[in-house]
Amino acid sequence: MVKKYTSMAYAKADDMLFGNCKFPVKAGLGLEIGAGYATPELNYAPRPQAGKSKEKLVKEYERITTDAMARMVQIGAPSVVLETEHVEQMSNNPEWGGAVAHAQKTIMEEYHDEYGIKCALRHTIGDIREDRDYLQLRGDKYSVFMEAFEQCAQNGADLLSVESMGGKEVFDYSILRNDTAGILFGIGVLGSMDMEMIWSDIADVAKKNGVVAAGDTDCAQANTAMFIAGGLLDKNLAHTTAIVARSIAAGRSLCAYEAGATGPGKDCGYENTIIKSISGVPISQEGKTSTCAHSDVMGNLTMQCCDLWSNESVEYHGEFGGTTVQCWVETLAYDCSMMNTSLKLGKAKDLRDILTLSDKYRDPQGYVLAYDNAYRVGQAIVKDGEDNYLRAKNAAIECCNIVGEGVASGKLKLTRFETNALAKVKADLEGLTDDSDKFMSDCLTKYKEEVAVFRTENYGL
Amino acid sequence: MLDLKLEDIDGILVRYNVALEKEMTPDEAAEELYPKDEQIYPIAKAIYEGEEDDVIDGLKAAIDAGKDPIALINEALMTGMGVVSKLYDDGIIFLPNVMMSADAMLDGIEFCKTQTTEVPEPRGKIVCHVAEGDVHDIGKNIVAALLRASGYEVVDLGRDCPVDEVIEAVEKEKPLMVTGTALMTTTMYAFKEINDKLLEKGIKLPFACGGGAVNQDFVSQYDLGVYGEEASDAVKIANFIVGGGDDIEKLREEFHKH
Repeated sequence: MVKKYTSMAYAKADDMLFGNCKFPVKAGLGLEIGAGYATPELNYAPRPQAGKSKEKLVKEYERITTDAMARMVQIGAPSVVLETEHVEQMSNNPEWGGAVAHAQKTIMEEYHDEYGIKCALRHTIGDIREDRDYLQLRGDKYSVFMEAFEQCAQNGADLLSVESMGGKEVFDYSILRNDTAGILFGIGVLGSMDMEMIWSDIADVAKKNGVVAAGDTDCAQANTAMFIAGGLLDKNLAHTTAIVARSIAAGRSLCAYEAGATGPGKDCGYENTIIKSISGVPISQEGKTSTCAHSDVMGNLTMQCCDLWSNESVEYHGEFGGTTVQCWVETLAYDCSMMNTSLKLGKAKDLRDILTLSDKYRDPQGYVLAYDNAYRVGQAIVKDGEDNYLRAKNAAIECCNIVGEGVASGKLKLTRFETNALAKVKADLEGLTDDSDKFMSDCLTKYKEEVAVFRTENYGL
Repeated sequence: MLDLKLEDIDGILVRYNVALEKEMTPDEAAEELYPKDEQIYPIAKAIYEGEEDDVIDGLKAAIDAGKDPIALINEALMTGMGVVSKLYDDGIIFLPNVMMSADAMLDGIEFCKTQTTEVPEPRGKIVCHVAEGDVHDIGKNIVAALLRASGYEVVDLGRDCPVDEVIEAVEKEKPLMVTGTALMTTTMYAFKEINDKLLEKGIKLPFACGGGAVNQDFVSQYDLGVYGEEASDAVKIANFIVGGGDDIEKLREEFHKH
């Protein structure tokens, strides 16, 4: 059952805070996420050769889990979440994923039993629904995809997530051609349709197994835009275009919670502050602590309303200070300690604002994702919450308005290129129909012709 | 919420891209670079603007005026694309402009081919693929488009490409280099297998690798590996090979920046 959001979870933006959410989630071994404290969420990737066999992979994750849990108790961290993002072997062979989850959870239970550390295991299934040439969202692989969730849920995973790919074929084509309608269609319409389908099924798996349907992210699209946009001096995509894609993505990621997910949302969903403002679910975020995986231009700001604080991903290997998972989980834990101290001292809102303001004017992406502006994008989404197309379009238009106001204030500065890109996107949006059926029809005609890998049957069309 | 005063922001962050923005607009910069020939100019300009229909109209007019279709590929289409590439390298235009120009140029080349029985000579052949097990192909698509836009013939093996398929393609096509992209640490291990199988067969050619999780340390572990940090490095590596040979050590000296 998909129930669309048409109102905000929070009465005002200022009510949002890190370590707190409207609807905390109990998970794993004594953990409650968003219930008054922030928790580190460690993410990691096995070394390249570890994927050669199931045995090697399980052993690698056992090392990772033991290292991380040991470091957490060594420094006295009260809670931790481990996130295993599946390598393709683990999702294509669901019993591999189940075996890894079982091995990890066994170790975590030992630490919980001995030290009382609160912990939970997230497994993020790989979206394997494609073949060599095309997305195959509803084809033969769908049952394997769902079996991967089932196996993990049965064998120890407490939180189920995925980084789904729906809409990516049209998005990839459009983002490289400054095609606003295509970006909106790929993320806001096609992506949302796929999200509604898969998250209804994932929520059923979670319910059946007594675990948590956590959430998704528009990593495949909005993060692709953010990465292509890169740093201030990169010349691959206007940052104003990237933040419009991000705003559209909020409507897409929201579909998971409308279909039964309860959070915590995935760390790389930079749209999660918008999601939180609408849904009140707990969210994971990454920022300065994910520099091991990629650079962004809002390293502090993303911490503003997080419930889990993540490092995105780091390859497992040795460093001077221990293995990478030990170094990064320790950094995450000290950040959480700082947030939790501010909560106890009644200074959390000040810390939140300091984190936000340190990046708010660095770049249009951070400006729009600052919690006060993110809240406004949320309001634009729920205004037409029942209609995936209209709410995505509303979010994009509100994003353009927010950036425009920032520039007018003199505090947000754009290059001429960014300004022109923003003007183009805004003009494109204003030229789009308000009729969802017409938009769908027009886009189907256009992208069936232009995007060779676009298969309408992937969306039941 | 708390807020910063306008005058306080500069002490916290610097928008170097705003501070250093060039005075000249992209259109003005392009105008200075177009060839002056009255038949060639509109084609080059249409390439820059990414307008396929205008490219074809310009080609038709030039052919009607007596220009050779094959010669137009180099004199007009590649020249127009050269303007685009220079502006991109100089940081004046952005990647989507290049992609749209590349689309227009490829349409132009196809049109020229229909106007003659001659076959245009590419600058060289390059095999591109995404690592086995990896379906993230936007990086490879950018690499392939930039290579084609620079006059190279691209044999695109697509994504999730089995190791043996890459080996077979290299044996068959005899390219000047292979490119491999991967987003994930576990899939990029396939690059090492490709390297080993090529060497087993006595084939030695540059294997340019890059993408999400790929780094210089990893690529340096296998003999044929040359690391490309940016998609546009693929073109620079190819140009280096065409101009200066395919010695892997020299390529690493040039392109391994870390």
